[in-house]
Amino acid sequence: MTILPYLLAVWIFLVGLVGIVTSRNLIHLTVCVSICQSATYILLLAIGYKSHGTAPVFADIPTSRKVVDPVVQSLTLTDIVVAVAVSALLLALALKVFEAEGSLDPAEIAELKG
Amino acid sequence: MTIVPIVVAAPLLTAALIALAGKWLPHVVADAAGLAVTGLSLALASVLLARTSARLITYWFGGWRPRAGSFPVGIGWAVDRLGAGFALLVTCLLFAALAYSWRTMTEEHYLFVALLIVFGAAMAGFVLSGDIFNMFVFFELMSVAAFVLTAYQAEEASPLQGAFNFAVSNTLGAFLVLTGIALLYGRTGRLNLAAIGQTLTNQGRHDGLVAAAFALITCGFLVKAALVPFHFWLADAHATAPAPVCVLFSGVMVEVGIFAVARIYWTVFDGVLGEFQSPIRDVLLGVGVVTAVLGAVMAGAQRHLKRLLAYSTIAHAGCFMIGVALLTPDALGGVAAYIVAHAFAKGALFLCGGVLLTRFGEVDELLLHGSGRALPVSAIAWFAGALALASPPFLGTFTGHALIDDTASTMGYWWVPVVLAFATIGSTAAIVRAGLRVYAGAGDPDDPLLADEPGEAPPPQERASLGLMQAIALVLALAGLGVGAWTGLATRAVEAAYTFTDRISYAAVVLDHRALPPPPPETWHTTAASVAWAVVTLVGSAAVGAASVYRNRFPEPLTRALGAALAPLHAVHSGNIGDYVAWLVLGTGIVGGLLAVSVHGVL
Repeated sequence: MTILPYLLAVWIFLVGLVGIVTSRNLIHLTVCVSICQSATYILLLAIGYKSHGTAPVFADIPTSRKVVDPVVQSLTLTDIVVAVAVSALLLALALKVFEAEGSLDPAEIAELKG
Repeated sequence: MTIVPIVVAAPLLTAALIALAGKWLPHVVADAAGLAVTGLSLALASVLLARTSARLITYWFGGWRPRAGSFPVGIGWAVDRLGAGFALLVTCLLFAALAYSWRTMTEEHYLFVALLIVFGAAMAGFVLSGDIFNMFVFFELMSVAAFVLTAYQAEEASPLQGAFNFAVSNTLGAFLVLTGIALLYGRTGRLNLAAIGQTLTNQGRHDGLVAAAFALITCGFLVKAALVPFHFWLADAHATAPAPVCVLFSGVMVEVGIFAVARIYWTVFDGVLGEFQSPIRDVLLGVGVVTAVLGAVMAGAQRHLKRLLAYSTIAHAGCFMIGVALLTPDALGGVAAYIVAHAFAKGALFLCGGVLLTRFGEVDELLLHGSGRALPVSAIAWFAGALALASPPFLGTFTGHALIDDTASTMGYWWVPVVLAFATIGSTAAIVRAGLRVYAGAGDPDDPLLADEPGEAPPPQERASLGLMQAIALVLALAGLGVGAWTGLATRAVEAAYTFTDRISYAAVVLDHRALPPPPPETWHTTAASVAWAVVTLVGSAAVGAASVYRNRFPEPLTRALGAALAPLHAVHSGNIGDYVAWLVLGTGIVGGLLAVSVHGVL
């Protein structure tokens, strides 16, 4: 097992964070949040990986066969469902912001301060 | 037949039905259904609270109970007394919020009701769960419902901005939690809290991975708990969310983050990291102290009433964290009693703000100067709420404060009562000041130290009953005052905290179906020091609050110096999500780094 997937997860998370911090567009920002979340998928799947393991579906393979961990796969699926809900909501908010303000720049719409 | 899952499942199912059928039903049906199912949850949570007096109730979904010593496959809930009490508090506040919003919103009111119910049910599920991934799912459910509720009046720009900042900050916090969960699963192969704790303790390895998991999960939940520097979203979300939603935000949602930190520490990390209790305590205490002080200072500089109350919540969240950080059952019991009194009192104050917004279309302290005279019931509720938060002897938050103060003093942290008193006086004086200006027309309608704040558009109200709304605020305020008078609550909370912090017994009940040993019986001791501090906070809050309404008449060099000191704080709270996320990353680096370093024994 190599350390590469873990480094990749950290890298993708950091790239997403940089994108969020520097973003000047709410839709771009929403995509950056999704990128951060992708890092968690990679981390989860890397944790469940077993070398030479196959998909944990026992319909057509013997139960003695080495498979990757199915638990982290279901966690990842749940995580994706959460991501869909959050992304949809953020995009809907961005759309409403554009309707109200005519701008998607978070710095321009900042009314709440102090 | 167990009632445990019904507390959460019944409201979720009802919310789905309301959302599906609400379009074709009269408003009153959605309201009545919401109140009925919340009443049911409230009754069931009360039964759970009574049944958990001497035991921990476990429930395994689908009957997947673990056999002793084997791999726990199922998803389990473990209901202890603090969890059941928290669920009861959630349902009480939800009931008040639903009753307050009875027939208030005209557009799509049924969806608002459905969202509120989902929000409450998710919080109840979170505190009852005994499975770390199940907790994560409920955490996300409550978060998404909360984001939508914040943006409910979506025609204005500021609610959208508040909801966006709230959503991005809290989603990133959830990613930190999830990353920590993944690391724990990678190490232990378990998701059940008791099983993770047991495996980690048996392995006995407190290396970088365990330290990182602890730091990530703690920082992730600190975002929800709104502790500095993860707190920025809170003021924006509270300032823009409808008042009944703020009741739940301030009263229980922020406290869910505190609860989560305590729950995870004691079920999972207490064994493996037990020898590093002292450095962990110092890091968490530091976070709590900074939060308490900053919240109190910022509350003094707000003219938007809901934003003022939001900063007061941040100050109290810091105090809750100080109590949890002491890592003893006595202080944790104090935090539990404190949270109950704070939830009712702060709920009453937010509802008073909502009444002002409905009546006058405004929540600006200076613009409302004297207008509150027309609302005497609100005025009583406002000042009763402020009194409850001022921690007066034997009322309101007193029992919680006394327990935390006494525990800290015994442990040698003599300065903890000073910090708690500062946070209480600072945040309560701001509430008193605003109340005096709005409800009594006292002082000057001009203040050099208050932040500029755009007004808030009034919610669309047609048949709103101001009488009912004010009555609910008054009931909540009196409840907040009253729970402090009931010292039995505090002693029971401490007994419950002994069970909560007993990791070995928790694991034995959950994994091996053993019986819970009874907690040591507690009795209430009032110390002279705690009564003295209570008098200090009461007199201090009233005096500072009364003096603050005349800040316009302070010598100009003084106000200019204070204004200059506040300017960088105002500038930091920029309302820009990019800045907030930068602070979140920095905070995770500092807090997480310190926690990780302290576990390695370098500090």
